[in-house]
Amino acid sequence: MQLALDMSRDGATWMMAAIVVLAFLGMFGLVFLLQMLSTQGRRAIVVAVTFIAGLIFALEFFLPAQPVDGQDKNFLSDPTLQIQNFLQVVAGMALGLGTYGLLRLHLRNVVQKRAQWGYSASLLISLVVMGFLSIWHSLGEKNVEGQPLVATNETAEYIFSVLFNNMIVQMDAAMFSLIAFYIFSAAYRAFRIRSIEATILMATAMIVMIGIVPLGKAISEGIGLPAELPPEYAKEPFSLTAILYSLKLPTMADWILKTLNAPATRAIEFGVAVGGLATAIRLWLSMDRGLGV
Amino acid sequence: MSIQHAQDNWFVAILIAIISLFILFNIFRARKGRALYIRRIAGLDAIDDAIGRATEMGRPILLIPGMTAFGVIAMQSLNIFKYITRESARFATPMRFLTANPTVYTVAQETIQEAYQEAGRPELYEPDSIRFLSDRQFAFASGAAGLMQREKVAANFMFGEFFAESLIFAETGNMVGAIQIAGTVSTTQVPFFVAACDYTIIGEEFYATSAYLSREPVLLGSLVGQDWAKILFASLILFGSLVATFWGTDTPLLGVFGKAGGWDAFFKGEGQ
Repeated sequence: MQLALDMSRDGATWMMAAIVVLAFLGMFGLVFLLQMLSTQGRRAIVVAVTFIAGLIFALEFFLPAQPVDGQDKNFLSDPTLQIQNFLQVVAGMALGLGTYGLLRLHLRNVVQKRAQWGYSASLLISLVVMGFLSIWHSLGEKNVEGQPLVATNETAEYIFSVLFNNMIVQMDAAMFSLIAFYIFSAAYRAFRIRSIEATILMATAMIVMIGIVPLGKAISEGIGLPAELPPEYAKEPFSLTAILYSLKLPTMADWILKTLNAPATRAIEFGVAVGGLATAIRLWLSMDRGLGV
Repeated sequence: MSIQHAQDNWFVAILIAIISLFILFNIFRARKGRALYIRRIAGLDAIDDAIGRATEMGRPILLIPGMTAFGVIAMQSLNIFKYITRESARFATPMRFLTANPTVYTVAQETIQEAYQEAGRPELYEPDSIRFLSDRQFAFASGAAGLMQREKVAANFMFGEFFAESLIFAETGNMVGAIQIAGTVSTTQVPFFVAACDYTIIGEEFYATSAYLSREPVLLGSLVGQDWAKILFASLILFGSLVATFWGTDTPLLGVFGKAGGWDAFFKGEGQ
């Protein structure tokens, strides 16, 4: 029985390996075919593949779906998932190309001793050391039948931890914290009073900035504006209490953000969504010749 | 609840179909030769000035698509960058293209090379001018900021999807005295670009850019289709506001918009 199970598992593994190899051969065959064809022939294939791939996703969205294993699915749901996995594999290959480009440029900088080649050397050393340690670390974490794929080494793990947690994460945090200073210098230029628009911008920004921090509440209540709006005044917007409450900095900041800012942002988002849809339709139907397909 | 299938919200599905029809109808109308108007966008007019400035200063221009993953936004960014590269190639102005996405990197290599060929200057194409720096956000940001400082770029074009790194690019560009034109669909980053850049292309203008630059009928028609869609949205918002004002938000009329429960809810009036 165990032997039969092992054989069936081995058979499935070989089948999967065969599918992967065939897929690769098919892909290389397609690339070869595209190279052999004339521009018109190549364009026809690209147009057909783009249209069919887009059509599968569009139909998957529009066709009725039934609940299967807690998810709404139709007959195209699983194939689209496989296509998405395939796209991830292609993106993984592109990562290799990207890294190759990076290596080529910086190796050339070091070999030809171009200006500031020391930076290139440090990049190459970091890339090799970190790549080696992180692959070792990842393989050590992967278990097959209770055994790690690769035996881990304490010293290597320690060096990896120092490089990742104590260097990369900290350098990321340092770059992120720089943004605070950049915001300050950008805000200084943006809020300079040069025109009516800049003046309105500065006044609005001041209200929002002070209104959303505790200082805004303290200033408003310090000059005698009501802390809360009693329920009996909630339906009387023109009563003195309601007007005084509306003049509080936190209330004004909230109104600016929700009544002025949010609709403007949503309007932009409507435009972006429609623009994205239009571009997607043009690409799907190969109407967009911008990239010269 | 996010929409996974049209049946989760049939109103949205019908709206998508109507907008698609608007766009396709206007594309065919434009192809038939109908003259279409497009308003002036100052930021796009400034692209040629920025390239001219870089040419006069003898410094490179920098193209950054941000953290854009490969998709519709990346394709649009590459279209814009292709135009900019073609114009800069005519004056033999060097360019640098920096990306954080390896797929965008591989497609950009082809696109940029093609731009040089179209400009009639294929010999000026340098593969090393297109660089994948890192897919980590701040490693990419520091790499781009370092390049701006070292090469003292004269013009900085940022078109794509940006996140927290946007201000690092824009402020560094400002420090080195580059003329900066940014265009993004990321509404959260627009204020930073407006504060730090010379020109900012906001939201939908990003998608209008290729139509504006090329004046191709297909792109112009698609733009008119988008305007029709926005008129539809505005009408629906006005209609919904009036109905909610006069009959309240619980009226069945408003329930029609966004009714869940599958296609049966639409055809037979079942569901929620």
